Amino acid sequence: MAEASLAPPAVDRGPLAWARRRLFSSWLDGLVTLGFGAFVLWVFFEALDWAVLGAVWSLEDKELCAPGGGACWSVIEARGRLILFGLYPFEQHWRSTLACLVIVLTMGLSCVPRFWGVRRLPLLWLAGFGGFMLLMYGGVFGLSVVTTEQWGGLSLTVLIFASVVVIGMPLSVLLALARRSDMPVIRGVAGGIIDVVRSLPLLTILFAAAVVVPFVVPDWAQGDKLVRVILAFAVFFACYQAEIIRAGLQAIPPGQEEAAMALGMKYWRRVIDILLPQAFRSSLPATINQFVITFKETSIVTIIGFFEIMASGNAAVGTGDWAGQFIEVYVFVGAIYFCFVFGLSRYGAYLERRARLGQA
Amino acid sequence: MTRKISSLLCSAALAVGLASPGLADSGETVATIKERGSLLCTGHNGSYLGFAEVDDKGKWTGFDIEFCKALATAILGSPDKLQIIPVSWAQRFPALQSGDIDVIIKVTGWTMSRDTELGLQFSRPYFIGPTNILVRKELEAETSADLEGGVFCINAGTSIERIVADYMGARGIEYEALNFEKGEELRSALYAGRCDALAGFGPFLAATRFNAPNPDDFVIMDEVLALEPESIAARQGDDNFIDVINWMVSALLMAEENGITQANVDEVRANPPSASVERLLGASPGMGERLGLSDDWAYNVIKAVGNYGEIYERTVGEQSAYKLPRGKNHLWLNGGLLYALVLD
Repeated sequence: MAEASLAPPAVDRGPLAWARRRLFSSWLDGLVTLGFGAFVLWVFFEALDWAVLGAVWSLEDKELCAPGGGACWSVIEARGRLILFGLYPFEQHWRSTLACLVIVLTMGLSCVPRFWGVRRLPLLWLAGFGGFMLLMYGGVFGLSVVTTEQWGGLSLTVLIFASVVVIGMPLSVLLALARRSDMPVIRGVAGGIIDVVRSLPLLTILFAAAVVVPFVVPDWAQGDKLVRVILAFAVFFACYQAEIIRAGLQAIPPGQEEAAMALGMKYWRRVIDILLPQAFRSSLPATINQFVITFKETSIVTIIGFFEIMASGNAAVGTGDWAGQFIEVYVFVGAIYFCFVFGLSRYGAYLERRARLGQA
Repeated sequence: MTRKISSLLCSAALAVGLASPGLADSGETVATIKERGSLLCTGHNGSYLGFAEVDDKGKWTGFDIEFCKALATAILGSPDKLQIIPVSWAQRFPALQSGDIDVIIKVTGWTMSRDTELGLQFSRPYFIGPTNILVRKELEAETSADLEGGVFCINAGTSIERIVADYMGARGIEYEALNFEKGEELRSALYAGRCDALAGFGPFLAATRFNAPNPDDFVIMDEVLALEPESIAARQGDDNFIDVINWMVSALLMAEENGITQANVDEVRANPPSASVERLLGASPGMGERLGLSDDWAYNVIKAVGNYGEIYERTVGEQSAYKLPRGKNHLWLNGGLLYALVLD
């Protein structure tokens, strides 16, 4: 560098300069900025006016609710417990709350790297599901039995999502590995399963699991309807997830596996220590995507008579007194979905940062 | 009511129904229910206004649910010996065939294909479902003819669409149809003045009117476009069970005919005005044995849920939010289509 360096070019700094440069660099730019700015502000204030300023908040003021007016949050006060708990017996709602917390906590813990282990993770989930069943089903410690027809609301949504993912993930890894196998029969079977299941709509699969299975399977092998539906859903999830993981596996240069073989590593060691960690890392964005889709798809179980949170939301507005407040209820249910899905996305972003750190 | 079910689900249900008609042997259903100690009856996957709703505490209420309670009381002696299983519209027939439920009480129209192809047996109708027109009062329309050239909001893909087309076509009345997928959209469109009238199932119209910004702006016209008899469905081949259902419905109607209510049933029983009322309430024997039930089953039912009129007014009629006029669901004495069978 030369000693007599020139002064840096005169760049205006600060937000005003930034705005002038980026938002108002020409007449047209300025107009577009003003136009969009006004639109965004308008939408924001309309939403604020509806949801907060003009809203009716308590059940006592229900008479003030008028169609076309602000939001009527009284409906949440009156029907909120129905939305959150579905048909679960009213006096036992605390059990459903705890059960939901147990699953969410288990989900949270299994996101912490400390719990990632071949032994720790399954143990954690066994404990989580065990606790959930104990609380929800009861029958021990003086808890009354609550059968699965009465389960509902948020805990059912969370249970279905968690069990589909927990059962589906290992299954998807097996399917992905089988589809890459050297043995033609295994490769063919895995490919066949994936292609057949992917060609069927989820709705058909769940409907068959809930409604058709009782006709073709003997009584003793049927199990609970909820269990059948979760298993069918998990297989569906696994088939999609298997392809995502396979994509991750294919991104790994074949030289790595050959090198591991040359070192004398056995198949499962190669898979666990070399292939899967890299495959998971590169397929992470698609995997989080699949999780999010699955969480939202749980609402399809309402078609076979399960009272998950979308169905209980419908039940909440399906009465004369509240039929006009469907928007408020949908917003409420939507906000719950948002919390979970947004949490998932943030977690995905954290994992990606972490993976990048590991690589560096 | 015929509702939108995707053709896929419909054919799945149909295939299942065809595959195993007549799962129940004669007389088995009541025995199974007694052995289990509870009746498995239909709920809804959500709420169906007035007929199967969930209250703030997660308890089922509604017109159909009251009939579930009545049936549970008739067979088991108590309205609490009842399990409501939530099922969707598409799921109800296969669920009945597979034994997930004992009976379908779910505003289910008695149609020929269901009766003959799905392995179902229907009871006598317990509700007459009218298709009506809800209209803006300011139009001062008295009959459908006054709506010439008007805009109708109609639920897309339902039988309502066909009913309105047939009815108006036969009378040569021109109209414009505005179709919507969901009930909420239909309502919003009507409230916003996008259509002059809304054609639909009577109870749905009553709820729509009730929820309007100003209910007095709207009126349900007396004219009936079509009637659909709603019946209780059981598995084909169990004659005894159908008998029990028919006589349960009949007992509720007979109670109303004779002015027997939940409140005065004990009084009437102690002091029966006629031999048939005496038998109905089990004060003299004969009512139960012939059906395989206890002699006082009808008394228990009335004590638990009241007579037909009381059930109606409480769930969809005057005492409910919907204020649905009885119309054709009055007893024949009052110009309706309902009557009790002869109790001899």
